[in-house]
Amino acid sequence: MTTTTAPPQARPARTALLLGGALLALGGAVLLSLAVGSKPTTPGQVWAALTHTADPYIAAVVASRYPRTVLGVLAGAALALSGLLMQGITRNPLADPGLLGVNAGAMAAVVTAIALLGPASTTATVWWALPGALLAGLVAYSVGGRESTGGTVRLVLAGAVVSAVLTAYVQAVALSMPEVFDHYRFWVVGSLAGRGFDVVAAVLPFVGVGVLLALLLAGGMNALALGEETATSLGANPTLVRSGGLVAATLLAAGATAAAGPIAFVGLAVPHVVRALAGGDFRHRVPLALLAGPTLLLLADVVGRFLLRPAELMVGVVTAFVGAPFLLYAVRRMRETA
Amino acid sequence: MRSARPPMLRVGSAVALPLHPRSLLWTLLLLAALLAAAAATLCLGRLGVPLPELAGALTGDASPAQTFVLNRLRGPRLVVALGTGAALGLAGALFQSVTRNPLGSPDVIGLNWGAGAGAALAALALPGVVPVPLGALLGAAAAVLLVTAATGTGLRHPGRLIVAGIGVAAMAAAFTQFVVSALARDQASVLAAYVNGTLSARSWEHALTIWLVVALTTPLLAALARPVALNEMGDELADSLGASAARTRTSAITLSVVLSAAAVSVAGPIAFVSLTAPQIARRLTRASGPNLVVSALVGALVLTLADLAVQHFPFADGLPVGIATLAVGGVYLGFLLVREWRRGVL
Repeated sequence: MTTTTAPPQARPARTALLLGGALLALGGAVLLSLAVGSKPTTPGQVWAALTHTADPYIAAVVASRYPRTVLGVLAGAALALSGLLMQGITRNPLADPGLLGVNAGAMAAVVTAIALLGPASTTATVWWALPGALLAGLVAYSVGGRESTGGTVRLVLAGAVVSAVLTAYVQAVALSMPEVFDHYRFWVVGSLAGRGFDVVAAVLPFVGVGVLLALLLAGGMNALALGEETATSLGANPTLVRSGGLVAATLLAAGATAAAGPIAFVGLAVPHVVRALAGGDFRHRVPLALLAGPTLLLLADVVGRFLLRPAELMVGVVTAFVGAPFLLYAVRRMRETA
Repeated sequence: MRSARPPMLRVGSAVALPLHPRSLLWTLLLLAALLAAAAATLCLGRLGVPLPELAGALTGDASPAQTFVLNRLRGPRLVVALGTGAALGLAGALFQSVTRNPLGSPDVIGLNWGAGAGAALAALALPGVVPVPLGALLGAAAAVLLVTAATGTGLRHPGRLIVAGIGVAAMAAAFTQFVVSALARDQASVLAAYVNGTLSARSWEHALTIWLVVALTTPLLAALARPVALNEMGDELADSLGASAARTRTSAITLSVVLSAAAVSVAGPIAFVSLTAPQIARRLTRASGPNLVVSALVGALVLTLADLAVQHFPFADGLPVGIATLAVGGVYLGFLLVREWRRGVL
């Protein structure tokens, strides 16, 4: 990847333009998410519903899509930002909470808790997801994360191993206790459907803290991208930035997974797009990722609803299909030594 | 390598096979183990035929209940497990040998999941139009081509190969999910069969498919064993010894794709048997080359034992066998990775 190039000079006009465009795109995605479904509605009807001038039936249809749309915004932002932080901390363009096993770790912890203690509230679920996510990420990182030649691939491989074992565990538990996990069948693949505002409210604090941390750390991440020594000489504390980033990435990934299940490749794809658009400066990339992540996830969710209407396809399936090509693209750009 | 010439098995002047005593010994031991695992598959559990009656039951002296168990339940399941395991072991041995990389295995690079997606498409979207094995074959071929294209360097670069494989596997798994969600939404067992790989409810038709493919590819494998072994020593050496490296690689990968596709079309994308079997075989025999016979036997044994475990272990009871191999094989893959890194290979 182009990690050797210095961050380009800040171009405020360009960044403002990008942010404006991303905001527009997100607005469009939100409208689509409210309009598309088993009962299709027109953008005009959605607008009427939003301004409380629609007839009650249409208003109810549109209102039923509020929670999943809000959840999509939240989870998309969390996943994209988590991926961006992970790629920054590990200096590895292939880092993604799904690929590194972080999402699988969160899911395994949640499934264990449900199997042992019975169905729990979403807030409790997030508290379970956090240590699981952290542990899985640390295992993958300590096995494969050392910065040396081939570190790029090692991290992904270690993550793949962690994911494989944890996924097998999750499926084994879910399949052997069908009465407990019937409700979670879609959650295990990653889906925005069938969740209420209580879920949103439960994960909001975690994601909020993660986003705040990411915004605070953006400057430090810039310094870190120049290397350990340069960062120190610039007055940044690499250890602090790295551990802060890890905490933020974990909070974000665990929050998103607890709410929507494991969704891979959003955290991989969005940072690549954002980097191509906005360059290397984290102070530009963080806000742009915050807007682009939800756009991608909502659009994937809309496609999932559209493809199999009146039924729907889980959003995790769509993001895998859309996001995996980014992995192939990143592979093609890997240096020979990697 | 020892310089002493290996003992040869000669039949007239036409046939001269080098004998590797250690391989021969392990072949016999593995055959014995397979026999024991097969007997256990048929005997254990509430429905099993008791061991003293097994020989009689197999030779035609069975009660109706035993006939049902042997003919409908355990029999086909066992025969499919043996054939599928052997096919997966062979496919892995060929692939790992020509990529010169233990991780260049069909299940690590996404080939099995590509085949699974093709099989799901053929079985659910085009039932009767496209035979399932053909769908699996097309899916596997598509996966290999996609991985090759994504790496940009053919199949030579292990790191790229594997990461591209992870991407292709994710896409194939997503596609399978899509097909199953669209067409068999309420059948969780169908999902398990196409996503994890399972051996439950197999028929003699499945058994025939897999064994036919294994039988048909055996002469080709026998002819390919030597060039593949030469290929392990490097392209230039293989070329200079008259075994074109490129042609060997293409033939071996083609055969590997055919065997994997056959295995997947009867049992679904079972994880990590292709990865582990050749590695275990190599450690047992300590022989160079692809170790085809021993790999096939180890593959058959691993899958039969895994299936035995999911049939009788208290917690695993009734799980798809693919979940068991995913868990055990995943741990093994981790072990393998760490070892390869220590050696600085990857």
